[in-house]
Amino acid sequence: MSDEPNDQDRYPTLTEAGRRMLRDLREHPSAPMYRNQSGNRLTLEDVSELRSFEREILESAVDFLPNQTPAWVNEYVQRTFEDVPYYRSLGSPPKKFTDLPTISRADLAADIAKFVPDSVSLNRLINFRTTGTTGHPLLIASHPVVAGRYLAFHKRALKRFGIELKHGRNQVGVVILGNQRKCFTYVSVTPLMDESGLAKINLHPADWNHPDDRAKYLDALDPEVYAGDPISFAELLKLPITTTPRALISVSMALSEGLRAKLEARFACPVLDVYSMNEVGPIAVYDSNAGGHVLLQPQLFVEILDANGDRVPSGQHGEIVVTGGFNFCLPLLRYRTGDFGALVVGKEAPVITGLSGRQPIRFRANDGRWLNNIDVSHALGAIPFSRYGLHQHADGSLALNIAMAELSLAEKAKTALELLFGDQPITVIGLIAEDKFIQYTSDLEGAKQ
Amino acid sequence: MQNIGPSLEILIRRLVDIPPDFLDEPKIGNQGQVVVAALVNDLLRWFGARPSDLILARFRSSNTGIDRNRLALVMIVVWLLADEWFIAAGIPQHLLVKLLDETPADLASTTPAHKFVTDPDRREELARTVLARLNFRPKDETLAQATDRLSSISGSERKRLLEASRAAEHRARAIREALAKKAAEESADKWTRE
Repeated sequence: MSDEPNDQDRYPTLTEAGRRMLRDLREHPSAPMYRNQSGNRLTLEDVSELRSFEREILESAVDFLPNQTPAWVNEYVQRTFEDVPYYRSLGSPPKKFTDLPTISRADLAADIAKFVPDSVSLNRLINFRTTGTTGHPLLIASHPVVAGRYLAFHKRALKRFGIELKHGRNQVGVVILGNQRKCFTYVSVTPLMDESGLAKINLHPADWNHPDDRAKYLDALDPEVYAGDPISFAELLKLPITTTPRALISVSMALSEGLRAKLEARFACPVLDVYSMNEVGPIAVYDSNAGGHVLLQPQLFVEILDANGDRVPSGQHGEIVVTGGFNFCLPLLRYRTGDFGALVVGKEAPVITGLSGRQPIRFRANDGRWLNNIDVSHALGAIPFSRYGLHQHADGSLALNIAMAELSLAEKAKTALELLFGDQPITVIGLIAEDKFIQYTSDLEGAKQ
Repeated sequence: MQNIGPSLEILIRRLVDIPPDFLDEPKIGNQGQVVVAALVNDLLRWFGARPSDLILARFRSSNTGIDRNRLALVMIVVWLLADEWFIAAGIPQHLLVKLLDETPADLASTTPAHKFVTDPDRREELARTVLARLNFRPKDETLAQATDRLSSISGSERKRLLEASRAAEHRARAIREALAKKAAEESADKWTRE
């Protein structure tokens, strides 16, 4: 029997309207070259289950307090120790939750099979791959229902900003943007939104018959939501699009205040900065009124740990560590995300403040003062970079990495850095879209906190 | 099992009555509380021995994945051996070290350590194994009876665990194959891609 999937596998509930949507997305005269195929893979039962899940997520509170283990966690730990080979091999569950050893991306990368519960049927397993900047390429075990659950958290995040998704049949719900030389692209429909269209496209000109087709196609699609990362959104800003989405959702990397402001001004809609990772899904959404990223998942316990694995007091910076989640193929116990921030009590849910993608780095100013990387983020935050990196060499000189297309902003950035660092030599280096890098690095001793 | 040891009931009772501290988390790297090497050191000193640092190093670890369950079982065996009968028997250091080194490693490779306290069959298995490895058999049992009972209780468990281990290997292979299939690689819709 062939394991080659067909459209029945990809869209089990497809109706004539859905079929028409797929055809229109693919065959529009300005359509890009779609290079891959995928689909929602959801059955009628899945859709019904997802509707209940969505209701639950929209109604449930994220109500734990920093450093207080929620009641559901103990049973979750017991179940995970019984059902997951990796944890079974550790022996008995510890008496205290805080004695539970942490795991990291390297553990998952070593053998993901050990983390898949015995109770999960393998018939419908799917994977998500990430490369990252840590040197541990990762393959995540998942399931179509898990992928479908993302929408519930997006709706929860959008609700904070007064947006309720409306697009349904014969409309496009979301266009997911990439902007890189090689990108997984395809079309689909979302059964939970009455088969609204979904297009995952690459804005890189190599994927289009003519670069001008990009704006024509996006205007024709007129999606309710654009999802992407700061790199693809920076490219979107350049296109003469006349239609306006109701929201933009940015994931994958930090969104600068400057770029957010430009996007909000250009599209006159909320721009959501969602902290999300393949291993966990959407974790939190940035809300300036809350002072940081507001947690989104009622069944995800977030701790902040120091380098020794001990909890830090509420409000203190440390590594973000998660337990729980909605991927039943990958239950996580004290998973060190590799991201850093502080956790504080929020009005409706706990809030991660000072979220940064990697271990904090200190930089040294010309007069010998140490500066936190958060100071650098503040200094450069108003400049609409899609992304940037700062490296300090052993002699104190600085290298600022920015996208080639944004070199015109270099002088502004140098001025902002000179105010912070004093008279340190600064070199500007142009990045190409595919370059992956760690945002803050230093060769100086004592730079890692 | 040439020598006559204490009654099995006494040892099993001792396992039932284990103080909660002996079920705390072994210290591995920065995590856990109980320094197992220190516990072993104390035990061996009660037996009049002075263990070298080389010996004690076997009871330290920085690898949770490999050593957590073994060290948790070492703690339980230390509690068992701290029984006055063993101390009075004057067991030599090299036998105690060999026991603490090998028995928990063997048993912990397949069974969660705390099951040797909470599960009646595993309690009996641990008590009988410890006696046998020190060349003792339970009081009131003949050599044949003790041999039969140990082989029965640990043999059936070994068989079950071996089958479970084969099934686990088979499933891990099946998971890797399922994840590599074209359908899995095509993945499924998410409204955002990290």
